Amino acid sequence: MHTAKETQRRFQDGEISAQDIIKVCLERIEQQDGKVGAFLSLAKERAYKRAVELDKKRKEGKPLGKLAGVPIAIKDNIHIEGELTTCASKFLTNYRAPFSATVVESLEKEDALIVGKTNLDEFAMGSSTETSAFKLTKNPWDLACTPGGSSGGSAAAVAARFVPIAFGSDTGGSIRQPASLTGVVGFKPSYGRVSRYGLVAFGSSLDQIGPFATRVEDVALTMNVVAHHCHKDSTSVTKAPEDYAALLGSPFRGCKIGVPWNFMADLAGDAKDNFLASLEILKKLHCEIVDVDLEILKTSIAVYYILATAEASTNLARFDGIRYGARSLKAKTLDEVYDLSKQEGFGPEVKNRILLGTYVLSSGYQDAYYRHAQKVRTLIIRQFAEAFKQCTAIAMPVSPFPAFPLGSIQDPLQMYLQDIYTIAANLAGLPAISVPSGFNQEGKPWGLQLLGPQLQDGNVLHIAHAFEQVTQYSHQLPPLFAS
Amino acid sequence: MEHDLSEEDIEKLSHLCRIACTPEEKEKLRANLSKILGYVDQLKEIDTTGVPPCNSVLEGMTNPLREDESCDTMSREVFLANAPAHVGGMIRVPPVIKF
Repeated sequence: MHTAKETQRRFQDGEISAQDIIKVCLERIEQQDGKVGAFLSLAKERAYKRAVELDKKRKEGKPLGKLAGVPIAIKDNIHIEGELTTCASKFLTNYRAPFSATVVESLEKEDALIVGKTNLDEFAMGSSTETSAFKLTKNPWDLACTPGGSSGGSAAAVAARFVPIAFGSDTGGSIRQPASLTGVVGFKPSYGRVSRYGLVAFGSSLDQIGPFATRVEDVALTMNVVAHHCHKDSTSVTKAPEDYAALLGSPFRGCKIGVPWNFMADLAGDAKDNFLASLEILKKLHCEIVDVDLEILKTSIAVYYILATAEASTNLARFDGIRYGARSLKAKTLDEVYDLSKQEGFGPEVKNRILLGTYVLSSGYQDAYYRHAQKVRTLIIRQFAEAFKQCTAIAMPVSPFPAFPLGSIQDPLQMYLQDIYTIAANLAGLPAISVPSGFNQEGKPWGLQLLGPQLQDGNVLHIAHAFEQVTQYSHQLPPLFAS
Repeated sequence: MEHDLSEEDIEKLSHLCRIACTPEEKEKLRANLSKILGYVDQLKEIDTTGVPPCNSVLEGMTNPLREDESCDTMSREVFLANAPAHVGGMIRVPPVIKF
């Protein structure tokens, strides 16, 4: 299947019409997504309507957008006006978005063709896409395994080559971990680099929207479209973005890469072997590997599950059954509208996190938990700043494990520990990428994670691109979806 | 290592966040939350004397405000399309005040 860059070129050169692109894309999804379960809904009418308009635009010789003709999938916690946004929750089964996210507007302005919404863990809370209220998503590399989460649907859609680009959101690793587990590229931009307007908020100080693709080049192309200031997002940075695609064009001459060995003392087995092999490749690319101190990151998960749940308990309070969402039919009083709608609408993991967040913010506990965690967050940010004085980027694994079987992790805490290497980038607002780094003996993918200082997104992409050029792991297709 | 929450603690939390729970759900929540709180208790070992809380990840971030001008962001029709119950252009809810 063609990359986004190739698709755009083929369309622009007249080799294929937008309508044919969409036809082939939707046919493939309809024939094969039954096995994967990546999509929750398809926006066929919207896609065909825009394809017809786009073909007309090209025929009239009008200038075409950077993503003209490229089919794109969007995680179902990001709004597309008129389409359902369910957040994979019973609460929002019939909720239709009254406006489009800034990201969606930017993509459509550049003539991208959005084809559907993808599955996720409910309200983006999870690392396996198993808490979705509607369906399970399978990993295209092994259908008995999860694709990771929470953006598992988007990752699987790209891995199975249904679409060349899909969007997800990353609060604690929800783009990078599924990218690693499905052998695709997944990028979490710096905090504030991409507008959150139109993303259903989970952890407002941690969330970022970002792309999945099969090539770093496609990620860069996409970033050129979505990385810009947005006046509707008060946390959006005003600093002008770089030309990410152009940056990849310049030769990579190596740089200093920090590895936090004191933080990763528990890394072992195949995960460690793959990480060491990745470091060797970076050395061949003229990188110097230096040891950096990030021991404070051992507290990442604890800090995250206090701050993220606190923010989530606040953000999800709006789902009260009054103005929108599934109101309980049993509710006879106002209090019952709240109590019963939430009881019926939210899944168990969402309830876990809302109650936990409520606890850490409640009177008598706020200082000991929430405020203390905010201070440890400052320590984490400071230690990263120190580390970046010695290196351009930091390398870590993405996940201690490859794709795990559906249903194999039932203990919430054990699931949380999946995010040990990814959470820190959200706590410090850093750009971070997962780029495919090989396969284990069972043929399951591994990912290498690269992080940069805030707003150095271009550098991170540049190193990842160089790594990808020599390894070409992202070029490999899951055997079941290779035709 | 657990940090034991009582049934009463869960009752209070369930009331604070307005989520009704069955006895089975309450017990599961009690067990899960106790375990997680036990895990996060490790943060007590970290000395944060003199460290300011992180209020924003972005350095020098201000709270940009727009001009105080009224503007229409959504029509009533669009807004009500997602409303569970509405009458006369207003959201309908069960009685708030008992007479």
